[in-house]
Amino acid sequence: MTVYQRLRARANLVLSLAQREYRVRYRQSTVGILWAVIPPIVSVAAATLVFHRVVGVSTGGVPYPLFAFAGLAPWTFLASSLSFGVPSVINAWQTITRIPFPRVALPLAMIATAVIDLALATATFVVFVYVTGGSLPITALWYPVIFLVELILAIGVVLLGSALNVFARDVKLLIPLLIPMWLLLTPVLYPLASVPDNLRPFYLINPMTGIVESFRDVLIAGIGPEISVIGPSILGAVVAFALGTWYFSSTERRFADVI
Amino acid sequence: MTTSNSVISVKRVTKTYRIGIGHARVREMLPPPLDAGVRAAFPKWWNQDAFDALHEVSLSVPRGASIAIVGHNGAGKTTLLRVVSRVTAPSAGHVEVQGRVAALIDALVGFHPDLSGRENVQLLGAMYGLGRRAMDERLPAILEFAEVGDLVDTPVKRLSAGMVARLGFATLTALEPDIMLVDEVLAVGDAAFQTKCIGWLDEFRRRGGTLLFVSHNLGLARSMTERALWLDHGRAVDEGPTAEIVTKYVQSTEHRRVDEPILSGQFKREVRKVMTAKGLDRWGAGGVRLEHVRVEQQAGNGSGLDVSIAYQREAHDAEAMVFSIGFQDENGRDIGSAASPPISITGTRGALRCAISPHPLRSGVYFPVVAILSTDGLVRDRWKLDRALAVERNGEMVLTEFGPIEIAGDWSSD
Repeated sequence: MTVYQRLRARANLVLSLAQREYRVRYRQSTVGILWAVIPPIVSVAAATLVFHRVVGVSTGGVPYPLFAFAGLAPWTFLASSLSFGVPSVINAWQTITRIPFPRVALPLAMIATAVIDLALATATFVVFVYVTGGSLPITALWYPVIFLVELILAIGVVLLGSALNVFARDVKLLIPLLIPMWLLLTPVLYPLASVPDNLRPFYLINPMTGIVESFRDVLIAGIGPEISVIGPSILGAVVAFALGTWYFSSTERRFADVI
Repeated sequence: MTTSNSVISVKRVTKTYRIGIGHARVREMLPPPLDAGVRAAFPKWWNQDAFDALHEVSLSVPRGASIAIVGHNGAGKTTLLRVVSRVTAPSAGHVEVQGRVAALIDALVGFHPDLSGRENVQLLGAMYGLGRRAMDERLPAILEFAEVGDLVDTPVKRLSAGMVARLGFATLTALEPDIMLVDEVLAVGDAAFQTKCIGWLDEFRRRGGTLLFVSHNLGLARSMTERALWLDHGRAVDEGPTAEIVTKYVQSTEHRRVDEPILSGQFKREVRKVMTAKGLDRWGAGGVRLEHVRVEQQAGNGSGLDVSIAYQREAHDAEAMVFSIGFQDENGRDIGSAASPPISITGTRGALRCAISPHPLRSGVYFPVVAILSTDGLVRDRWKLDRALAVERNGEMVLTEFGPIEIAGDWSSD
């Protein structure tokens, strides 16, 4: 029985936990849910300043803020899934040692909050595009499909990380190191086109490369996703999902003992 | 008891834990089947630091039964509840449970400290598979039961432990469980709430609910359950009617019968360590200290007790002292005491005797409490002995008797 089958009987648990996470995260803050929108706006502004005005990255004629937003929104989704999802299991140790419930709901709830954050960021993006007089190409309808690839990738990586973290807290300590490194090695703030040809195969091993590039293709360039770009990402996402699910399923029965 | 109609069936369950933190976890990290391979290759390394919290324990609970689990701290009682509730999986053996299980493993219930009581109730419901609407409907009943009033919208971290325990118990009552696992939580609430919980559990049993009950309060265990399982160091020692098991357990763990000395000098240090571990108390202002205490059956007279007390004087201001020997029942309630008149003490050491004949105790389990007090009531040293006095009259309980003491009444019919 996989973790997901066990979860089916507790269908609303992921949402309840996501709601709890929102409440706890923003409860004693003054601007509350606005915190879901502030980080992408601020990081787009900072990235525009540094990479557009100072470094002068070429985006092929696309306004840099749009270019950055299309990359930073999916990137923030992954980063937030990882940084909240990986420690989610150990943070709930008090519940895990006392209540029998499908443990997989914990990391999935964190991913659910990241999905909601992304939805808010995307809405901000769309408003931004239309307010500045632009419009979205019809290929933007691909957006949910590409996001699905990223979601599958995120679930896999977070399930693996959160389960490993129960046994070795090194994982939690590794995450703040991993996220900026991964960001640097993914064409989020610069285009894949600016990567030298001989490095490009290495870039495509990183499943986030294809995902971010495809987001840009469908949201800005107005072209459909290219299989040569998104293909490796789909493969990587499926492998990560299978690995994460298998590891979480086969070790979750020990969580209450080891945590 | 047959297995066919049992709702909880625990078969030869072993639960192995590892002692210590850190590297021990690396072994647990290997997912099956890799772990079996490594265990076969390096059995010694694999098994070091491991201990069995439960060792081949079997238990079969028929529908509607209520079973107490008794034993020392660390005997495996909570582990057994965790295994039955499926919080954790057994290392070996087989567990089968039919019906909705609600587990109150401890007073914290698994509530999130930053959420309000109301939100926690919702979340707990979701964890047990109850929808939002179902919990909304039950919320008024929960709040009424918990009697937390307006505090329900306050983050749980600002509530007292007793309040949290109330809310936790109240929430579990609303889950409409078929099986309740209750571990020592009733101790947290105040007396009124305890009574309420016990009342609910009684009603729960009457409706056909099944109860597994862990408590160090043996009196409570005896009134709540018909049968008991006695665990010691992870092994099942005995199972049977609660009154019988509790008496055996107390006699074995306290080592002493009424006809044996309760405490003598050479045990002093060890006993004090044991008392600290058990949370039993010794306190006082000092000045005069109890050195050792013996409680013995009077020679040639089974119905009397001889108490001998040796004391040590530490301060020179201590002169006239009142000595007192009293008894508590298994619920920790004071039953009564014999206090001496003020006795003036000189020198650094001394001893006293007190004969209680006949002793007024009915069959049951009692804990002697010995104290030295100043004449103004200041407690110098008060010692609740960890050795129990198991009183048996004629080896059997007389059912027409009740209560801890015997009252001599002259009966006549008009």
